[in-house]
Amino acid sequence: MTRLAALALAILSLILVLPAAAQDRSGPLRIEITEGVIEPLPFALPEFVAENGGASGFARDITRVIAADLSGTGLFREIPPGAFISRVTSFDSPVQYADWKAINAQALITGSVETRSDGRLVIKFRLFDVFSEAPLGEGLQFVAGQDSWRRIAHKVADAVYSRITGEGGYFDSRVVFVSETGPKNARAKRLAVMDYDGANVEFLTDSSAIVLAPRFSPTGDRVLYTSYETGFPRIYLLDVASVARRALEDQVGTMTFSPRFSPDGRTVVYSLSQNGNTDIYRMDVGGGSVRRLTETPSIETAPSFSPDGSQIVFESDRSGTQQLYIMSANGGEARRISFGPGRYGTPVWSPRGDLIAFTKQNQGRFHIGVMRTDGSEERLLTASFLDEGPTWSPNGRVIMFTRETQGETGAPALYTVDISGRNLRRVPTQTAASDPSWSPLLP
Amino acid sequence: MTTGTKVSGIGHLILILWLMIGGSFDSDPLPLESVDVSVISGEEFAALIAPPSPDATTETPAPATPEPETAPAVSPRPQPAPDRPAPTPAPPPATPDTTPEQPAPLAPRAEVADDAPETPEPPVADPGAALDQRPDAEPTPAAAPRVAPTPAPPPPPEADIAPVPSPETRPSETAESATEALPPAAPEEATTEIVTEAEQPSGGAPGTSPRPPARPRPQPPATAETTPEPDAPAPDPLADAVAAAVAEAVEPDTPPVPPRVSGPPLTQGERDALRVSVQQCWNVGSLSSEALRVTVVVGVEMLPDGRPDSATIRLIDFSGGSDAAARQAFEAARRAVIRCGARGYDLPADKYEQWRDIEMTFNPERMRIR
Repeated sequence: MTRLAALALAILSLILVLPAAAQDRSGPLRIEITEGVIEPLPFALPEFVAENGGASGFARDITRVIAADLSGTGLFREIPPGAFISRVTSFDSPVQYADWKAINAQALITGSVETRSDGRLVIKFRLFDVFSEAPLGEGLQFVAGQDSWRRIAHKVADAVYSRITGEGGYFDSRVVFVSETGPKNARAKRLAVMDYDGANVEFLTDSSAIVLAPRFSPTGDRVLYTSYETGFPRIYLLDVASVARRALEDQVGTMTFSPRFSPDGRTVVYSLSQNGNTDIYRMDVGGGSVRRLTETPSIETAPSFSPDGSQIVFESDRSGTQQLYIMSANGGEARRISFGPGRYGTPVWSPRGDLIAFTKQNQGRFHIGVMRTDGSEERLLTASFLDEGPTWSPNGRVIMFTRETQGETGAPALYTVDISGRNLRRVPTQTAASDPSWSPLLP
Repeated sequence: MTTGTKVSGIGHLILILWLMIGGSFDSDPLPLESVDVSVISGEEFAALIAPPSPDATTETPAPATPEPETAPAVSPRPQPAPDRPAPTPAPPPATPDTTPEQPAPLAPRAEVADDAPETPEPPVADPGAALDQRPDAEPTPAAAPRVAPTPAPPPPPEADIAPVPSPETRPSETAESATEALPPAAPEEATTEIVTEAEQPSGGAPGTSPRPPARPRPQPPATAETTPEPDAPAPDPLADAVAAAVAEAVEPDTPPVPPRVSGPPLTQGERDALRVSVQQCWNVGSLSSEALRVTVVVGVEMLPDGRPDSATIRLIDFSGGSDAAARQAFEAARRAVIRCGARGYDLPADKYEQWRDIEMTFNPERMRIR
């Protein structure tokens, strides 16, 4: 009996103890966070320290450009300098993290500017994760001529952006666009190029002929555009530095328009209209062979290469309405990718390769939207009287486009929007502006 | 043996005898007098009571004959409803009946769900809307307000909305400097959902409804208070072997560690409070789209005052992206843990051992750009 009782007791204790033992092994407390907040990350940017007398103006200006770049993304929020507790008087002085935590600065950017005896600027900066009390990456130093101070500021902002978000920046880039002046029925149009933020505008053409749809080359040194110089639309290739230009295609009785470079910059795809039919062609920039990629009685236009150069997305009305299609870069069978209501046009492949931006017209309103390359997950980012002509930022995060206002006094302007649909902003330009094309990041 | 045989024999004998002569013990059934009350009139009743004549008693068996007929009449068989035209109008009242009944099953369902933490582990990929904890929110399509373009009221403790939302386009520094030494300010545009310009005009029903809330994870019951030591005075070899097996199961290969004094487990409410505290500071607004695809598991050791020990925050695991993206995601998670824990999380001090080590899984699936 004693043996049986002992056995029973042992089994009972086994039953009782085992689950408890298993729970003891469950280890740390585990929780899952699935809801966060989407808000700009607050950063502190004390004015860069001027290492010598001549640098103080540059220090102030560079600091302001960096702050504007970061705040303009909508992903960051500058903490007003008046709220600072700590003062940064030396680039190498230790960071008083508690002071920056107290004002909820999550990132801190410190820097210095020095003018050298040869007139060049030396700009240093560091980025700190305040709450981790650690630097984010190594400090960096740039040396450049004084006239390049804005580019250096953009480069600092690009580095900060990249370190915090994990994706490339887009501040040190340029935009070519059509500058428009004069009344609506007699607009003078000129090609112009500017920094991405509207600064440093330079004109590339005069206003003697109507110009349209400029497109940067992948290296940013050349521009393709369409001009009515001869009375008919014709494609030209322009060198940005020398402003020298030449016509790319010159067949009598044809109209060429809507050009775009291939990712390697050696090939151009464009539309050619002959005898009332418009198809897509491909041509070597060096003046080589021309190849016809589509051959249908419908209108095919607005071709855009995928980043790897293997495919082309374009618009066509072969189905009866204007829709988006994808075909091989060598032509052949095309696959329709847009199926929603309304009309789709001006598709542009994202530099990341995952999305296609487009213009959509539906129920009397225009939208800029994005969809995956198989046509899924269509998302409209804007809505207005007239939005059109999207172009991607170099990092594929922002889209710039033309928005035209209604009425007699209506005029086009450039806007940017994040691919999430947030942070819609107008790009400051001195004149009315349309048809933007974003360059890659400058070297 | 003999006793058993005797008992068996006697028992069998009694049984045989009862079978043989048992019939003579049959008693006559008692005379049963039955009266059909339904067919008795008033005079008959009076007559029945007043004269106790023998005639009346002999007559009473006569109505007993229809008795078997009335009995089946009472049974449900002759009651079939379809034969009657009357039940047809019955369905109309049935419909109003069901409507008030409908909420009734919902209420108990909610109750059941509330105290059913033993449900199997929910799939991690289906985390529900954290704010909609009640399962009965599911059939009500109304709730789930899309995040309005107006600034969401940020609940964090340090949330004083900055009066000037950093208008970098206006370089008016003088106006900014007026806001002197403001405490940490939450941005006005804080939101948990992105509404594009194209979506704004359509003020109708939301296009997507929140996913059903995740069920609470089964709460591990309290760790063993004191492992019941098998009874000490048991020199029995069998009991010893079992006790040894128990001991082996309890203590695997791990070296003997001094047992921690652990308090009771955290309640679901306490866990939820911690989760909500952390997510208030988990800002994914500045993460790249690739980093938004990474789920990171972050480990942290807590100090007794409820603050995280920043030096112990580590990336335990990640999935869904590259190393670089995981690093960005981890940094955002680390910022969240440190920022909102700067003043100490509201955790019960007596249960310190329960929350001393925490593993937080930051899953941004619901925060991705859609």
